[in-house]
Amino acid sequence: MIKPSALRADAEDQAARFPELLARADHLAGAVLLGAHGRRRAGVGDDFWQYRPAQQGDSRRLIDYRRSAMGDQEFVREREWQIAQSVMLWVDQGASMRFASDSKLPEKADRARLLGLATAIMLQRGGERVGLTGTSLPPRSGRPQILRLAEVLCQDDTADYAPPEHRAMIPHARALFISDFMGSLEGVTLALTKAADRGVRGVLCHLLDPSEEAFPFSGRTIFESMGGTLSHETLKASDLKTRYLERLAERKAELQRLCALTGWHYGLHHTNTSAQSALLWLYSALDTRAGAAA
Amino acid sequence: MTVLGGIGFTAPWLLLGLLVLPILWLILRAVPPAPIRRRFPGVALLLGLKDDESVSDRTPWWLLLLRILAVAAVIIGLAGPVLNPDEQQADGSGPLLILLDGSWAGATRWQQQSEVIDAQLTRAARANRTVGFLSLTAPQEPAFQSADVWRTRLAGLQPEPWQPSNANVIRAIEITKTLNGFDTLWFSDGLDYASRGDMLDALQDQGTVEVYQTGANVLAMAPATYEDGAITLTAKRAIAGEARDVTLNAQGRDPAGNVRILATVPARFEAGAMKTTAALALPSELRARITRFDIAGQRSAGASTLVDDGLRRREVALIAGRENREGLELLSPLHYIGQALAPTAELIDGSLADVLPANPDVIVLADIATLSEAEQTPLLEWIEGGGMLIRFAGPRIAASDISRDTEDPLMPVRLRAGGRSVGGAMSWGEPKSLDAFRDSSPFFGLEVPADVVVSAQVVAQPDPTLADRVIAALSDGTPLVTRKALGQGQVVLFHVTATAEWSTLPLSGLFVQMMERLAVSSSSATLDAQDLQGTTWTPLRVMDGFGLLDDAGNLPGVDGADLAEAPAGPDLQPGIYASGDRRIARNVVTTDTILTPATWPGDVPVRGLYVAPEVPLAGWLLSLSILLLLADVVASLALSGRLLKRSNAAAVLLAALLHMPAPADAQDADQFALNATSEMALAYVITGNPSVDQVSEAGLRGLSDTLYFRTSVEPANPIGVDLETDELAFFPMLYWPITPDQPRPSSDAYVKLNEYLRSGGLILFDTRDANIAAFGAASPNGQKLQNLAAPLDIPPLEPLPGDHVLTRTFYLLQDFPGRHPGRDIWVEASPADAEQVEGMPFRNLNDGVTPVVIGGNDWAAAWAVSSNGAPMVPIGRGFAGERQRELAYRFGVNLVMHVLTGNYKSDQVHVPALLDRLGQ
Repeated sequence: MIKPSALRADAEDQAARFPELLARADHLAGAVLLGAHGRRRAGVGDDFWQYRPAQQGDSRRLIDYRRSAMGDQEFVREREWQIAQSVMLWVDQGASMRFASDSKLPEKADRARLLGLATAIMLQRGGERVGLTGTSLPPRSGRPQILRLAEVLCQDDTADYAPPEHRAMIPHARALFISDFMGSLEGVTLALTKAADRGVRGVLCHLLDPSEEAFPFSGRTIFESMGGTLSHETLKASDLKTRYLERLAERKAELQRLCALTGWHYGLHHTNTSAQSALLWLYSALDTRAGAAA
Repeated sequence: MTVLGGIGFTAPWLLLGLLVLPILWLILRAVPPAPIRRRFPGVALLLGLKDDESVSDRTPWWLLLLRILAVAAVIIGLAGPVLNPDEQQADGSGPLLILLDGSWAGATRWQQQSEVIDAQLTRAARANRTVGFLSLTAPQEPAFQSADVWRTRLAGLQPEPWQPSNANVIRAIEITKTLNGFDTLWFSDGLDYASRGDMLDALQDQGTVEVYQTGANVLAMAPATYEDGAITLTAKRAIAGEARDVTLNAQGRDPAGNVRILATVPARFEAGAMKTTAALALPSELRARITRFDIAGQRSAGASTLVDDGLRRREVALIAGRENREGLELLSPLHYIGQALAPTAELIDGSLADVLPANPDVIVLADIATLSEAEQTPLLEWIEGGGMLIRFAGPRIAASDISRDTEDPLMPVRLRAGGRSVGGAMSWGEPKSLDAFRDSSPFFGLEVPADVVVSAQVVAQPDPTLADRVIAALSDGTPLVTRKALGQGQVVLFHVTATAEWSTLPLSGLFVQMMERLAVSSSSATLDAQDLQGTTWTPLRVMDGFGLLDDAGNLPGVDGADLAEAPAGPDLQPGIYASGDRRIARNVVTTDTILTPATWPGDVPVRGLYVAPEVPLAGWLLSLSILLLLADVVASLALSGRLLKRSNAAAVLLAALLHMPAPADAQDADQFALNATSEMALAYVITGNPSVDQVSEAGLRGLSDTLYFRTSVEPANPIGVDLETDELAFFPMLYWPITPDQPRPSSDAYVKLNEYLRSGGLILFDTRDANIAAFGAASPNGQKLQNLAAPLDIPPLEPLPGDHVLTRTFYLLQDFPGRHPGRDIWVEASPADAEQVEGMPFRNLNDGVTPVVIGGNDWAAAWAVSSNGAPMVPIGRGFAGERQRELAYRFGVNLVMHVLTGNYKSDQVHVPALLDRLGQ
């Protein structure tokens, strides 16, 4: 039972974080903004694409007389086709994401929100529709959507390891999953196969803390999950290192295999590296231009 | 005390505590280290993993051993172990008197003696004996106190710079008679003195007496005398043993004012000889600087002897008429006298009124006939107070009426009118030569060269006193130099000029010798009771027993006769004494002091001053146990994985303990110089901010690459420069980014920087904040820049003018963007008279490289490339940003070209080509 006062304090706390997150995400997105992009083919849009000789069937209205007056031939001015794509985000908000091995490093959840929101801002500036997977916030375009996204992203989940939301996927949309993928892989498998069924392609961003890669522990230790539901005691933590790393490698391999099967991109990002590099990669991986996504 | 294997224990029963150790081992072994609880999301991957069999859940054996050793060290330490326990001497009981000679003779081995006393006090403390101290050089009622109290005061015992006098010893005997029953330890200095036998008898009446006396010989030094142009030094010794070499040092201030050894002279005691002498011939300039002589390796008042006025450098004021004459230097009336005196005396120039307050030793008046009343009176006072006035005759004196009818107080004789001249074209006779000096003359003994002739002089009137006053005469008996005493001082008149006009005397070496004789005799100080009778001398600086000079404070004055003859004592401390202008050094050992070794009757045990000191080990063992426990803390933390995570503080502490600051290696400096000079390299100042330094490095690397590709400049990798340690001269330019928190360089570093700027280096200051318009106060970086640059030798600056050579050294540029596009950068101001000539696009500007370029455009960020050559920092947007980056590179290229080629492109020879390119 949450008291109203506590709820309000909590809400204000969340609200206080929200503009900051938004500002940082804006800043990050601004740094790698590459400008508006078209579909690289003639169609409906604002930007000039090409002049082509008028053909039979072209309305006389379409003839560009300014260009045609330079010669004997009549030209039609074509505009670049610009179409909005729907992109759905899923940012893991489970308790396991609220971990940072060092006070100088950001929490994984923090980095994940930042990346998610910055990607959303970039996409929004590119004219795409951005939203969350599931039914809570379907893709929409426009600046207000960013505010709504930031609001929803600021919420925390109490569960230790949250499975990806796979409901209500829009066919042939794009998707971005950001998580540490430490929980059960069944949810991920389910979500990816379902997405593949619907023609949704996207990006898995595997976000890890450096200590999760290095396992720099030794001595008698009791490991607990962030929510406290799981625990494991060992007498000599350093002995577990190789086996832990093997398991982690297996997990990465499994995720990569899944991605390969379903046509997704897999990317690994650590919280001690620059968010910009990750954002650049995310942007290029999500880039919907033909041939741009390698 | 129980002795086990050479180590004594004061509380041996405590050692039984060692039996507990095995039990402790078992207890400690049973307790495993506590676990750490750690939050870790990856636990999901750990589930199901089992520990190996061999995993330790118990404390490892080496950690146990560490702890057991720590406990054992505590137990053994508390048991009071003592190394070298002194078992040879009976401890004895009852009060103990420690009797010290306490004279200068023991000062050299005072430290050794203190150690022996300390060992004896330790013994006495163990035996619970009370101890009293009695010094024969300053006898006082001994206070019998616990030995431990005395140990704390031991450092306060100092030797006195004199020998125990008869009165002192008798007083000490009286004191001992008032006490009843004590044993005595007598620390003898090895010299005999009056009533020593009586003292021994009095002590033996009270209890046993043991004597501690060094086997080493006592050395002393008699006052230095100056004879025949050399200083004679005499060293003495107490025991006439085998031949021995000693080194005698002459100490004084070098020209920089530091006390150091100015000269050394070896001396050799022949076998069986009690004394040795050595002659030390020194240039008079060096001789005048000597303040004391001592025997190398000896540290006592007796082995050093102070030097007084005898060797001091004199102040001589030279005054001539015709002050403002612009004549030839060789015609200056003071030229020859100045040359003669300059090596041995401090010369003072100025008018008489100016120099008199400086109280010089000698005043020379060259051909000055009359003095005003205001000058004459203080001059007379000065002479009567001990000054020496030397006058030279000349045309003015010859023409004046001075000392004609009555003797002028400032003239030694009356003069005839006009003087005489001999051997000239209009006169009879030959020029006169000098007569040999009579034995009453201060010049007696000087060789008279045959070529010294006098062709003109002023002539003294015959007077009853004339014969006494002549100290040099011509071959016909005419006085040449006369002298009279006036108060404590004297007036000397040379009847010829100080120039070579009247005689060749100033050209000869004799002139120099005469000057030296006169100056030396002006304040010779000989310790003669007759001379000093009735005078009172105040001590200026006194010597302590070790021979160190100290300020005399307000010690009372001493009668002159006592100063000359009485032995040194509390009332007559050796040192420097002054009376008026005169200084006399009183030394402990005088010329006729004889050092007699002390001998002891056969029934008195005499020991040397060497003891194997007892070393209590308790403190060391307890410290060891603390160290072991500290090591245990670290080891325990390391074992449980907390060392580097939770207790960073402990790790830092450990690192600080282990870290030894490595001295800057000369090899490193050589390596640095090789790296910096084998190829041209750009350099940046290390600010201490890692991200800024990284960008600086990457920026200069990017610029170096650009230079390599586009120009004939092919720089090596850029080098970071630490202003404090690295040599700057190797680098054509320094890039200095400003951060608000960088440390201000030391003054040494600023000296280097200024040297660098003066020798043609260029520093590119970059505040990196694009805020340069206000230049300073506007931003923290600007303020920091002002602060950093304040001590630098920077010329006046101006915003870069449009025709500055930087705008065309390689590329034609008018904008100098970096990450920021601001245009304002500041360079050395062009000369005020630079004007544009009609038809020329540029002014003829500075001849040279501007020493600083100051801007805020963060150029390094624009130049910065990552290791694979891609730009590190985004600049601007899209193509415009790339253009800005390109312009930044062009600015860098221009800057390096400017540094390397100077004003080459400013040369007007290139104007036609440049005009052509500019399309004009």
